[in-house]
Amino acid sequence: MKLDPRTKLFIAVVANTILFSAPLYISLTMAALPTVLLIAERKIRFVLLFALSYVVAAFLFYQLKGQNFGLFGTFVTAPMFFLYRCMPICVLLYYVISTTKVNEFMAGMSRMHMPNKITIPLAVMIRFFPTVFDEARDIGNAMHMRGIRLFCLRTMKNPLTILEYRLIPLLVSLTKIGDELSVAATTRGLSPETRRSCMVKIGFHVQDVVVFVYCLAVVACFVIASRAKQSVVDIISALFA
Amino acid sequence: MNVSLKNVSFSYTESLDDAVIRNLNFEIKSGECVVLVGESGCGKTTISKLINGLIPLYQSGTMAGDVLLGDKNTADMTLAEISRHVGSVFQNPRSQFFNIDTDSEIAFGCENLGMNPEEIRERVNRVVKEFHIEHLAGRNIFHLSGGEKQKIACASVSATDPEIFVLDEPSANLDLKTVADLAEIIKFWKSRGKTVIIVEHRIHYLREIADRICYVKDGRIAHEWTPVELESKGPEYAASLGLRCVNLKQLGEIEDARLRGRDETSVIASTLSSVIASEAKQSLKESLVFKDLHFAYNRNFPVLDISELSLPRNQITAIIGHNGAGKSTLAQVLCGLRGTWRQKRKARKYGAYLIMQDVNHQLFTESVLDEILLGMNLQDENAALEILERLNLKEYANCHPMALSGGQKQRVAIGSGVSSGREIVVFDEPTSGLDYRQMLAVSATLQKLAAGGKTLLVITHDPEFILNCCSNIIRMEHGKITEQYPLQGNQEKLVETMLNV
Repeated sequence: MKLDPRTKLFIAVVANTILFSAPLYISLTMAALPTVLLIAERKIRFVLLFALSYVVAAFLFYQLKGQNFGLFGTFVTAPMFFLYRCMPICVLLYYVISTTKVNEFMAGMSRMHMPNKITIPLAVMIRFFPTVFDEARDIGNAMHMRGIRLFCLRTMKNPLTILEYRLIPLLVSLTKIGDELSVAATTRGLSPETRRSCMVKIGFHVQDVVVFVYCLAVVACFVIASRAKQSVVDIISALFA
Repeated sequence: MNVSLKNVSFSYTESLDDAVIRNLNFEIKSGECVVLVGESGCGKTTISKLINGLIPLYQSGTMAGDVLLGDKNTADMTLAEISRHVGSVFQNPRSQFFNIDTDSEIAFGCENLGMNPEEIRERVNRVVKEFHIEHLAGRNIFHLSGGEKQKIACASVSATDPEIFVLDEPSANLDLKTVADLAEIIKFWKSRGKTVIIVEHRIHYLREIADRICYVKDGRIAHEWTPVELESKGPEYAASLGLRCVNLKQLGEIEDARLRGRDETSVIASTLSSVIASEAKQSLKESLVFKDLHFAYNRNFPVLDISELSLPRNQITAIIGHNGAGKSTLAQVLCGLRGTWRQKRKARKYGAYLIMQDVNHQLFTESVLDEILLGMNLQDENAALEILERLNLKEYANCHPMALSGGQKQRVAIGSGVSSGREIVVFDEPTSGLDYRQMLAVSATLQKLAAGGKTLLVITHDPEFILNCCSNIIRMEHGKITEQYPLQGNQEKLVETMLNV
């Protein structure tokens, strides 16, 4: 199933808003969307991992939220909250980046009359993420050989060093790669002044409409729910007044 | 299309006093294939950047003189305009892609020119056929090997059909078989009347293609030969200019003589080191044996399938075989980076240390000295300084590793391997993209390490380098060891097999 790049952009915007502000049942319906889309892309293993950790995190968070376990409780609930709020967004990002080709994305943006000056940096970002992971893995390997592992005495004693060891070589090689990438792109004629064409045809199909309607429905639910809540608050405050 | 450089000077700084290129006059005729050679830092890459317009349009610096493509001055054009006429292929296959899948990558240049989709598709299909890369169509670029990536890079440049091709060390990361494919591609361009300009250290594969070989020194063309002329002057002449060998077939013969001379000295060195070593360990075995090295991503396709590997102790062993034969996987399994947890645990015990091809990945700290100290169990500063001294790095002890040159960085990485106390050091293509002198420096370092009691394993595609310093050869194919033999007496066989892999 292929979605238009513009639809993906729309999902990203809607989901980001909803997932950060809505109550559980609405964010669950929202989180279901990238899950279904990823299943359609046959990335089942990833989906299972994601679904399992999401459910566990959400469950634990809602169980622990009300109780007072002191500092320890905060240490458990904070990461759970983080997981449960951010996981769906990461999954969505993963879906968008792993399924959108750079040229489709650029074509979609130019259909929306987005200027090239905005499109090109965003397109570079799509290309950049896989590179970051590639590089990070090599660096992780090198550190492993030096005996610097995440869980060992030395790193436990001085947890900031591991950040430094990982980040410095990553940043150095990424700046180099970024530079080489832009050289390669400019020598192949990518420039903000010229108008590009696209080999792949993009356009809206049935599945795009379905996704749009679904997103809008979730937004509607969210609005109604928050209105309802608001009116309950109003009634209560009226009673007390 | 003619290319002419008229009285060109260029400096990466603000004044022309320390110019890389000085008053260069250089003419390339339409349909010519010109190879620019010379030692690292001589300015040959700068010349290629002048032709593809990156200088003066992308790179900042000071420039004088004119670069003309046909009758147009590059300074008056935009990079997008120049890209219609000049196609560029770069050294690093990792960073010259803008797309994630191969098809879009080949179409990328055409899309930037705004061609209509029908024509783009036609061109992509045509190029795929011309380059025989049907099996690479529609693949994820991150899953391709270096050689395959380089083919895609050539194909995508070819799709826009420019008149001039500029290649900057295209073969640096390729094995000899892929290099032969690259030669075919260049031949194809030449047969179409294209102008091809190649900056290279390895020139043997261009022997039959190049019209001219230009030797660049201090930003000028110091010599000019046809390949035949250069070859007839003999390999010693090329080596004296810091050039790699022109004809690999000659290698076997000369190195034979050189090796015999070397062996006598190395025998003395090794007896010396063994005297020192025997004081510490009385019962040294002759070779290190590893059993059951297996690895597979998928049960049906073993990437590595070796039941026994024996490495001669305190010697340098080269691993050859083409891209994808499992050489890198073997290195990773030996170093405990891959494999089952049992293999990993074992690897931690016998411990091999990997010097990666891109050493930037393995330098973490803020000074060279810290880098050496980091791997030590007991952080002993004097011992660290001693290691630096042996690697000629003592004066850089307080420098930031990232501020050093490529060769120095590599030596720092080697130093960190030495300080970790592991006996086996594995090198992943230590000489890719190096000129003759740098290659000799690397082999000297390696010989020193071996004499100092390390056992070295070198993955390489560089026959010249093997003949210079290795003493044993292991050939791998499909994850298995097909042959293992000492270098002595087998020089010609080695060159033969490497050419025919």
